[in-house]
Amino acid sequence: MALTKDKAGATGALVVPGRDKVAEPLVVPNTFWSSALPGAYTETHEPDHTHLREFEESGQGRRDDARWSGPLEIIPTKADYVLDLIRMNSLWPLLSGLACCAIEMMSTATSRNDLDRWGHFPFRASPRQADVLIVAGTLTTKMAGPLIRLWEQMPEPKWCVALGDCTCSGGRYKRSYSTVEGIDRVMPVDVYIPGCPPRPEGLMYGMMKLQQLVKQRRGHWPERAIGPTVPQDV
Amino acid sequence: MDRRFKARLEAQFGDRLSGPVRQRHDQTEIRIRPGDVVPVMTELHDNPIFRFEFLADLAGVDTGEVMQAVYHLWSDTTPDWLRVIADGLSRDDPRVPSVTFLWPGAEWMEREAYDMFGMIFEGNRDLRRIYMPPEYTSFPLRKDFTLPDDAARSPGGGFRHMEQTHIPANTPNTVRRLPGSRQLPSVK
Amino acid sequence: MSTAQRPSADDPRILLDQEAGVFEPVPPYPPRTEREAEFYTLGDGQMFLNMGPQHPSTHGVLRVVLKIDGENVVDLDPVLGYLHRGVEKLAENADYHQVISQVDPLEYVSSLFNEWGAVLSFEKLLDVEVPRRAEYIRVLSAELNRIASHALFMGWMALDLGGLTPILWSFIERDEIVEMLASLTGQRMLFNYFRIGGVNGDLNHDFMSRLGNWMSRATEQIEASQGLLNENEIFVRRMRGLGPIDTKTALRMCFTGPNLRATGVPFDIRRAHPYSVYPELDFDIPTRVEGDCLARYLLRVDEVKQSLRIIDQCLHQMPDGPVMAKLPRLLRPRPGRAYSAVESPRGQYATYVVSDGTDQPFRMRIHDPSYIHLQSVGLLMQGNLIADTMAIMASLDPIMGGVDK
Repeated sequence: MALTKDKAGATGALVVPGRDKVAEPLVVPNTFWSSALPGAYTETHEPDHTHLREFEESGQGRRDDARWSGPLEIIPTKADYVLDLIRMNSLWPLLSGLACCAIEMMSTATSRNDLDRWGHFPFRASPRQADVLIVAGTLTTKMAGPLIRLWEQMPEPKWCVALGDCTCSGGRYKRSYSTVEGIDRVMPVDVYIPGCPPRPEGLMYGMMKLQQLVKQRRGHWPERAIGPTVPQDV
Repeated sequence: MDRRFKARLEAQFGDRLSGPVRQRHDQTEIRIRPGDVVPVMTELHDNPIFRFEFLADLAGVDTGEVMQAVYHLWSDTTPDWLRVIADGLSRDDPRVPSVTFLWPGAEWMEREAYDMFGMIFEGNRDLRRIYMPPEYTSFPLRKDFTLPDDAARSPGGGFRHMEQTHIPANTPNTVRRLPGSRQLPSVK
Repeated sequence: MSTAQRPSADDPRILLDQEAGVFEPVPPYPPRTEREAEFYTLGDGQMFLNMGPQHPSTHGVLRVVLKIDGENVVDLDPVLGYLHRGVEKLAENADYHQVISQVDPLEYVSSLFNEWGAVLSFEKLLDVEVPRRAEYIRVLSAELNRIASHALFMGWMALDLGGLTPILWSFIERDEIVEMLASLTGQRMLFNYFRIGGVNGDLNHDFMSRLGNWMSRATEQIEASQGLLNENEIFVRRMRGLGPIDTKTALRMCFTGPNLRATGVPFDIRRAHPYSVYPELDFDIPTRVEGDCLARYLLRVDEVKQSLRIIDQCLHQMPDGPVMAKLPRLLRPRPGRAYSAVESPRGQYATYVVSDGTDQPFRMRIHDPSYIHLQSVGLLMQGNLIADTMAIMASLDPIMGGVDK
């Protein structure tokens, strides 16, 4: 058996030919279950938003680029940066815990793992005053309607965080008859936090990731057109 | 296992029981016909030698051939749990009298049995769906309601999902099942 | 789900059609049952108020339709199902071992009791004898979980009355206990620790040192939390006499647990129908006779003290030995039925398992105490103010994961 040499001339470890080949994986063809959606695992799908898609495409929505207007235009565009900093440091979540992950969310918000350090403490009860919807807990088909209504009632800019396995993909209830397999089937998600339930440090990491997204204007939200949340003549 | 309790039950209800009184561990089980639920329950509740004033549980069971309503009762006259099985409800039209006249707290337990099995409890003032939305049409816990990824594929049945690509030829026929269907098992 | 085609609440061009159960409290179909007809007919001067599935109370997704006359609630109708995940159906399609982790998230605040109820039934079906050390560890961890759950109850009780400080204190206590249990079981909340025939792992040094640390401070911490609330005039005046229930009605409504003991019935499954090693442990059953919210609250505080006694005794009496019985990996019990009940912090948590001889339960019925207690909220609410709805519901201590399964 020949010993290989690397560039510097030193001999490497003993190499047995054939041992560095990766074993052939056992491929089990999926004969058991298939998704109703063709190309579910092979193609990229756009997140399935609700009605806002037509609204976006019709071009009627404003783009949320938060530019100063009028006499303030002389202020250089670093103001956008400041606005993003302001937004990211005071993201007020909506008090909407559904199941077990809500307890971990509450645990993150209370003294030991303090979410107030990032400015996220006030969990608003009303969606009209909230910035971020942390969906914590299994979404069932009965609750999907009210949750979408909550999401729609939140004014822009808004973000959505999927906390826990059940919201990311259906989790341990994926095969149930009344679970929505992942909230990204019904609303656009910005940050996914897996875990069952995720530790409070996990939620903190997810919120910090969201802050990063807000600051760098990445993710869904800069491209989402915003529309009127109140009809024009009201 | 309270032998004297068994004797008391057989003495009181002898002809109404549709099966022997079975005892195992700390449970005593009697089977009655659905029409006898009201007199038997009233007797168990009111008679001072029984005094079963506490309804612990009311469940529905779908055995594949028939449906059952199973009541669990507790009394301080015996250390055993009493299980009353109202056996023999037909799977097409399961009807059983309600016990809400004795225990109003059974109302929601019966609602749940209705929602999950379609069992009609006659006398329950509020028999509507409780878990599923009101316009849902199926009854989820029935054995003919199969989940999409259903149980034909238990590892105990010889299926090793991660280890093989097909059911091996020597899997005995008793466990080999058609993928995607569940043959209704029957249980007594 | 019809929400994909449903027009938006925000789009001003499209008129909104009223969808049942979400906008209008009254369902769009004619009443189907007697009680529905009775509830959904308005008297003079009454109106419906929908306390929707999302509300600031922390019990979870419960929708309550209130029929109010001014500020007084005349009647109420809870609508459940917003968290129904089909656990019983999933349990029929899982192994006996897998079912234990399936039932964990039902009463998620007190997960070990869910597991205990399931595991007791399986052990009865399989005639398994659990080693004594495992039983003691089960009791120890479960009583810790009971204290954590009651600590959370105290916080939520105050939160639903409007006090924001006690919940923070409760979460400090709960976090300590839960980190302890995490060093023992690996998980903070849905522990998945009990196994058929024992528990998953023995006590370890980290757990014991944390436990010793905590126990030396536990009594003062409880006294401190109590000092915040028990003598608090607002708390006491709001809770005294609220939602009273008498013994006979409680028994007829199938109450169990602290809610029943607060009405004067000393019924505790650990004494009435003992399981595990509770006969060898010395503890009292706190009972109160008033049956109102304050009694239920004070009772749970007393229970915490009894749990501390039990934990102390467990630590002193802990025997040596294995922590799990030797069982085959593939479990096939004989066809039969088994029922077992444990005393969870909310009441009687029971499971009824029907086995057909295969390695999956044929029917796994889970009886949850919160489900039963929520029925009587209407009974307790007669003539109270809207703000008291939350107080009464909090005093019954429901967990919607268990209610909706």
